[in-house]
Amino acid sequence: MAEFTAEVYQNEFLPEGGTDVNAIVTLTCSGAGSAGQTGSGDAGEIIIVDTSGSMGRTKLEAAKVAAAAAVDQIIDGTWFAIVAGTHQAYLAFPLVRSGRGMVQMDSNARYAAHQAISQFRSDGGTAMGTWLMLAGRLFDSVPGLAQRHAILLTDGENHNETPEQLTNAIHSVTGKFQCDCRGVGVDWQVAEVRRIAQALLGSVDIIPEPDQMSQVFAELMQQSMGRGIADAQLRVWAPQGAQVLFVRQVSPTVEDLTSRRVEINPLTGGYPTGSWGDESRDYHVSVRLAAKAIGQEQLAARVQFAVGDQVVAQGLVKAKWSDDEGLTTRINPEVAHYTGQTELAEAIQEGLAAKAAGDDETATKKLGRAVQLAEQTGNEEATTRLRKVVDIEDSETGTVRLKRAVDKVDEMALDTASTKTTRIRG
Amino acid sequence: MTDHLAQSATAPPAAIPQSDGSLSCPHCGAEVAAQEAFCEACGGALTPTAAAPAGAPDTMAPPIEITRSLKTEDEDTVVVARPCANCGGVIGADGYCETCGTKAPTERDHYTEHPASWVAACCDRGLRHHRNEDATAVAAEPTPGSRAVLVVCDGVSTSLDSDVASLAAARAARDVLVAHRPAGLGTPASRVAAIAGAVVKAVSAANAAVIDKTARDSDNAASCTFAAAVVEADLVVFGNVGDSRVYWLPDPGSGGDPTELSVDDSVAQARIEMGTPREEAESGPQAHAITKWLGRDSPDFTPRTGSISVQPPGWVVVCSDGLWNYASEATALQSLVVEISAPSSDPLTLAVALVDWAKGRGGKDNISVALARL
Repeated sequence: MAEFTAEVYQNEFLPEGGTDVNAIVTLTCSGAGSAGQTGSGDAGEIIIVDTSGSMGRTKLEAAKVAAAAAVDQIIDGTWFAIVAGTHQAYLAFPLVRSGRGMVQMDSNARYAAHQAISQFRSDGGTAMGTWLMLAGRLFDSVPGLAQRHAILLTDGENHNETPEQLTNAIHSVTGKFQCDCRGVGVDWQVAEVRRIAQALLGSVDIIPEPDQMSQVFAELMQQSMGRGIADAQLRVWAPQGAQVLFVRQVSPTVEDLTSRRVEINPLTGGYPTGSWGDESRDYHVSVRLAAKAIGQEQLAARVQFAVGDQVVAQGLVKAKWSDDEGLTTRINPEVAHYTGQTELAEAIQEGLAAKAAGDDETATKKLGRAVQLAEQTGNEEATTRLRKVVDIEDSETGTVRLKRAVDKVDEMALDTASTKTTRIRG
Repeated sequence: MTDHLAQSATAPPAAIPQSDGSLSCPHCGAEVAAQEAFCEACGGALTPTAAAPAGAPDTMAPPIEITRSLKTEDEDTVVVARPCANCGGVIGADGYCETCGTKAPTERDHYTEHPASWVAACCDRGLRHHRNEDATAVAAEPTPGSRAVLVVCDGVSTSLDSDVASLAAARAARDVLVAHRPAGLGTPASRVAAIAGAVVKAVSAANAAVIDKTARDSDNAASCTFAAAVVEADLVVFGNVGDSRVYWLPDPGSGGDPTELSVDDSVAQARIEMGTPREEAESGPQAHAITKWLGRDSPDFTPRTGSISVQPPGWVVVCSDGLWNYASEATALQSLVVEISAPSSDPLTLAVALVDWAKGRGGKDNISVALARL
């Protein structure tokens, strides 16, 4: 039986006239079980593989091995399909033309899927929006799927669609399934693929070499199969008259959820978090209240974890107005840490964007700030990645120089990993 | 024992029986007694499962009948959940309003006691502090002017768990004073000596209660003050540790002067004794620092005791500095009592009115008032 907990980290004391309350809420799930095996409904998986002409022989052969490795990780009974993508989208498996576009995994289906994968040929362009819309239709063809997840592999830019077409496609499938996206090589656009992953509650990462693909695919599928909680929601209640300034996931990655609010009731907003395995995620909630008199106490937010319509855990964010400066000036270490990590992600992305646009001055400033923040918040992984793009003169002050020659892979890896956060030290 | 099993969904939960026969608080797990209407540890509301004990520790011949103010005083009373004091909304199970988020006051934040028609107490968080670390505990025989015990303890806010400790201390002291039974008739002097001896014992019991509520590994031991008055007809015996006070306030025109009976153990008092005018001393630096207290780190908790033979009508007042900060001189307190009590002489009305008055003056500290009308 799955168990859920919510822990709150904050300084609840506000000075006279203080209005803004910040808290980090850690939600933890344990005993999640396996996808589709917990009695709450079946799971569905779709593997989307780029088979455009640019894949060439090496990448395509590696992609076949990777797709087969992912198929091998799908638990029997799980509904699945394989999509081959070019400037169009093809249903590579199952071989049907109407009715249900997915089949349940068993040994026969697994064998037939391997056969279908081996038939992949590289040809044509890239239209990721079309691939996503086909995946959406396939999921819809199987009624009652509780959990829907896809893996998308691409190697290039979305040449055969306008950005608007991609945006519309993303909109049309948002909320229908989750999608982890991977780019192989260095010819794809991080920002473009990140857009898909963020909207579809998935991750984005680079696979520098084709032979690394099969391990990545196996792991992604394994992780998805370990998510027994099909769909959970973060809920934030704030008192009447209060303003929820923002709601962010801050660990394991930074994702701003504020605009994804759906109204549960006038005082409570729901934010989708997708499926859960045995894991912890941290959220930063910021609420603005009307100031009250010294000595007053009130609730600033109830942060709830809901599975279906059931609230399974709740954390209380409080506000107490005090004239004791020893209490009100304390900075909560968790809030400070994640505020820094959020700024770190922004500094990296803005710095790389400026660098790509040829604005070296802004790039140097932003990446310097990123180095400084990575140092302050103890994010050694970010420091290591930054070191491949800039020469660090002084990490404390954030003094850096842009490297003359940067490996494109390193720059893209820095970009895709920019939202990854570390937990607080100690 | 009387069972109070009748509960509605809105009544506070009852204590949870443990395997060792004790009871635990459903909110925080601390040990609670069956008759308690709220948990001493967390302040959470409880539905008592037993009536208050009718007898004091000396059960052979209880000297006086105690009636504690319980939220549920008879079997048929159903405690109805109160709406939010701020907006009228529904209070959630987490103790906060579901609409505006205002914290619902706990029983520990504000309570009254009214053991007999002539004795009452009111204990309140005030406005500026987040917890009520004051405590009162009173007891009285039913006959007006017969025998009463008034105890006030003021928890030191810089120490941990002072709210739990002060309540335990006040109750322990009250129980000792209630149980005290003068042996034989004796002379007036021996009566006074016997009661004063009981006050010293009561302070020891209160001190033991504070230490008992202090976490063993606490580096900031709980501590509190002590002030008590024992009324036996027109004899008032009193004692104090720290800066909680005992006053005798005769009605104006009845002869006799209003008097501050207790002497603070405070920096301000030390300065007054060295010749500094009272007002200056009480508003000077460190004025509220107390030089004696109860608790594990107390070097000396011997109370100053005294007695007085009073001429009724008038009021015996035991209070914390949350009240006397706004009316320190006995004459000022007398005028205040006359102003807000007349023409009623109901002690509960006056105790609540004094607390409200102190809140009106800013309520900077917790406020406790225990009164006996003579």
